[in-house]
Amino acid sequence: MRKTLSLIAACGIVNSVNAADLTVYTYDSFVSEWGPGPQLEATFEAHCQCDIEFIAVDDGISILNRVRIEQDKTKADILLGLDDSLTEITRKEGLIQPHGIKLDTLKTDLNWHDPNFIPYDYGFFSFVYNSDKVSEPAVSLKELIDSDASVIYQDPRTSTPGQGLMLWVKAVYGNQAPAAWKQLATHTVTVTKGWWEAYSMFLEGDADYVLSYNTSPAYHVIIQDKPQYKAALFNEGHIAQIEVAAISKYSKNPDLAKQFLQFLISPEAQSVIPTTNWMLPVINNIELPAVFDTLIAPKRIGFTPKEIAKKRKKWLREWRSTAN
Amino acid sequence: MLNIQDLLLELDGWPLRYDLQVQAGEIVAIQGISGVGKTTLLNLIAGYLTPDSGTIAWNQHVLNDLSVEQRPVSMLFQDHNLFEHISVLENLCLGFKTTASIQVPIQSIKNAAAYLGVDEHLNKKPATLSGGQRQRIALIRTLLRPEAIVLLDEPFAELDPVTREKAALWTRDQAKTAGKTVLLVTHQEEDVARVADRKVILT
Amino acid sequence: MRLHWLAYSFVLGLTVLSFYGLISFGNESLDTSLLQDSYFYSILGFTLKQALISAVLSVGLAIPIARALYFLPHLPYKKLFLAFCLLCFVTPTLIVITGLVALLGRSGFLTPWLNTLSDNHWNIYGMSGILIAHVFMNMPLAVRIIYLELQSIPETSWKLASQLKLNKADCFRIVEWPTLRNTSILLLCFIFVLCFNSFAVVLALGGGPQSTTLEVAIYQALKYDFNIPEALTLAWTQLIVAGGLYWLISRFGSLSWKNVDSSRNVWRPKKGTISIQASKVMYGLAWIILLLPFVSLIPGLLDSKLSRPDIQAISRAAAVSIGLAIIAATLAMSIAYALLHPIRQAAMGAKLKRLWLLESVATHTLISPAMVLSVGLYIFLLPRIDIEQWGIVFVILLNTALVIPFAVKKLKPRLLQFDQQYNRLARSLKLNRRTLWRIEWPFIKEIYLATFGLVLVLALGDVAIFSIFGTTEWTTLPWLIYGYASSYRIAEASAASFILLILCALFLFLLEKLVHKKLALRPLMNQKLTDEKQHKEGDTHA
Repeated sequence: MRKTLSLIAACGIVNSVNAADLTVYTYDSFVSEWGPGPQLEATFEAHCQCDIEFIAVDDGISILNRVRIEQDKTKADILLGLDDSLTEITRKEGLIQPHGIKLDTLKTDLNWHDPNFIPYDYGFFSFVYNSDKVSEPAVSLKELIDSDASVIYQDPRTSTPGQGLMLWVKAVYGNQAPAAWKQLATHTVTVTKGWWEAYSMFLEGDADYVLSYNTSPAYHVIIQDKPQYKAALFNEGHIAQIEVAAISKYSKNPDLAKQFLQFLISPEAQSVIPTTNWMLPVINNIELPAVFDTLIAPKRIGFTPKEIAKKRKKWLREWRSTAN
Repeated sequence: MLNIQDLLLELDGWPLRYDLQVQAGEIVAIQGISGVGKTTLLNLIAGYLTPDSGTIAWNQHVLNDLSVEQRPVSMLFQDHNLFEHISVLENLCLGFKTTASIQVPIQSIKNAAAYLGVDEHLNKKPATLSGGQRQRIALIRTLLRPEAIVLLDEPFAELDPVTREKAALWTRDQAKTAGKTVLLVTHQEEDVARVADRKVILT
Repeated sequence: MRLHWLAYSFVLGLTVLSFYGLISFGNESLDTSLLQDSYFYSILGFTLKQALISAVLSVGLAIPIARALYFLPHLPYKKLFLAFCLLCFVTPTLIVITGLVALLGRSGFLTPWLNTLSDNHWNIYGMSGILIAHVFMNMPLAVRIIYLELQSIPETSWKLASQLKLNKADCFRIVEWPTLRNTSILLLCFIFVLCFNSFAVVLALGGGPQSTTLEVAIYQALKYDFNIPEALTLAWTQLIVAGGLYWLISRFGSLSWKNVDSSRNVWRPKKGTISIQASKVMYGLAWIILLLPFVSLIPGLLDSKLSRPDIQAISRAAAVSIGLAIIAATLAMSIAYALLHPIRQAAMGAKLKRLWLLESVATHTLISPAMVLSVGLYIFLLPRIDIEQWGIVFVILLNTALVIPFAVKKLKPRLLQFDQQYNRLARSLKLNRRTLWRIEWPFIKEIYLATFGLVLVLALGDVAIFSIFGTTEWTTLPWLIYGYASSYRIAEASAASFILLILCALFLFLLEKLVHKKLALRPLMNQKLTDEKQHKEGDTHA
């Protein structure tokens, strides 16, 4: 850990700071004091007798952009916080190396065989509603889109849930997607830049449904003791978001990096993540608070990362021109 | 000697020409109808305007290429002679090059202020004073500054007849004692008689 | 090298490096195919449309309010109102948006009423929300500037007008309009440019892909597609349109950011009872409208129960924010002063072209896309320096660069006034640099401090730059608010927002208050100065 950066540094007299043994690029909320970062850091440092440092940027896409710019000058040993929609681009840019970790402990549902990326948590994009206000929630995406219930979702150009909805509509409607977007636009309150704007507006009562994750209700129960927030289960199936980590091609300590990835899918780490990052564990037999059993467990539908990488731009354009 | 030779300046399409010699220690009144270029002449000598041709020389040294700051000139403008936001005394102490050995002649300043009846205002801000009081204060500083040439642009315009006479006599006395060379722009014949050695009429 | 040319190299250098950073990355050029995409034109059209309507509404509403203030010199709390106007302009957008949503959002306090009026069609998101937020932030500034401009109408004009028994319309046409016209046009342009470059408001209240401004499109292109050619094309478009317009207008004159002078008892024509009542009502309404979004934050505040670590985090972030903002504001004020040096020289030499050129360079960060500036610099610096260690320095430097135009614009008239009044005298007295500064300082101090407050508060609200260069160890208050909000902690977020708002108000009022105290001590002098300013100012501006 590096907290030596002092006011003096800002004034130009920089203390010499020892580089950490392992540098992890991740997104902000992962390392916030309520996120999994601090606990994982303490546990892993005790394990390895080493010093790890998190460098946090806005979100997953910013991690990728940063290593794209830095190329071989990057400080990163590990990129943590990309998701399955970004794996193909990252691979193509040649920024990562194979992890060489056996994947047989992972949940079989995930069907994960990627040689470069290790999944560390996942969740299903879902529409969350307040059951005090909505007594009969929609049971399918089609029902929701054809209804007149007010909806807030995120911009697919700037947010992963937004992109998730784009894939969802595409998976359910196929060529009919433009008509579906038009229909949805008639009862959309707003399309926000990021997840939190949408979610906080929803909590303020600005909409009946908000696009979020199937795990969101767990937060309200565990932290706030508010059981009324629920995720709607849609019978067409849901799009999953799988969050992943990988070793930088330019890592100076690939062995330790591999050790850290291994640690990420260990029961120790996996039991921390669900109640701090509010996502599901990627291995079985993790003991979780009871509310996790009440979460919806949707069927998984969607596209392969390769398909997404190929068609994303076209689909975005389609959304851009019809979601008015 | 202040020697102004073949000086030419075209201002807004009007050519202004000056030829004038003033002996060291002489006091000359400049007169002429409005717009004839009296203030312009002072501005040329002080260095605020650059002539198109001709020379301005002081004791054989040509002043033309010197900046305002380098010329041996102390000038009284028609207005804006005082900084409004600092005290009268602070204003009076400006413009004296001070070193360890040379101090601001504070006693002379106070004596002059007492003589001209403005000594009770020294700690006030200029804005609280009348036009006449302000003019006397600026006059004191202009004459006491250690510069050989003194340019006065209508220095008594805002004074009442009694004060006017007093200030005029003080100016002459001060200039003569210190051996200053003075150019005085005025419209009043009585000023000329009281202060000047001779008068020049610009046409 | 002289200090002021160093200042010019600083402001130009940042821009050049950031464009260099973008252009050199992968040697990418402009994406001209974008110019054939209808999406591009719909963005451009929307950007222009919302900026134009925002500007017209802001100025149109400001004129009657400013006239009400002007013709009723004894309105209660008028000085507070004018200070409050400035606060509305500089309040971090984050807070304005939260307040407006609490007020006009789906479950806002006024929404049921609006729904009855609009037959249940009320929706803040989209054009209406963007316009409301833009007008809320810019109209008060316009009120302030127009009011102060009206005050500079000489008493003699009114006396003459009443002597000649001019009717109301002629009075307006002959006495007020010449003053109002110039200011209004400049304000229209200034507000147009601010709204043209609007970012946070459009992102938060836009409500869909149809309401995208160029700045937002640049953000999306840079951040999510990493499409640098597209971003560059958009950036150049923005620079050319906003810059072209701004520079064109700035050739005709410049806005004077006057300070509120202590009220002078200038004779003004008496208004009829009806128009007095109407003005009073308007004044009251203006107060209510400007206060409402802030008041609507209070219930959220009462809802929050802050834990000890929260209080610690908030106070720490507040301390960091204040520290960073003070450094940035101090730097900006010094650099602005240095930038103005050659501008003053040019003004005194009546070299108008040079003056215009220098001023354009000094204030160009007002129109250059902030997103390009920060992202470009980020790309340039990332492979070259340790961003974790030095990032905070660039947070300060970029914030400095972005507030410099405001400092330059506010300081300029006062310094030019000083030169106009005193330059000849100062030169005649052969004052050296130190003495000159000793005399100049008390003359500019009031405006200097008020400007310091303004740029301090502007820097205090930054999130855009911090989101790129900031590090967690230096979390600022606005960034903490985003942090709270993104982890479902809405109550903590509104509490922290409120504290940020109070800090802004405190700095702004404190520094204006200092000024007023000083003025109260020398009312006469001030009277004199303003009188002098009146007949001087006409020819001060190029």
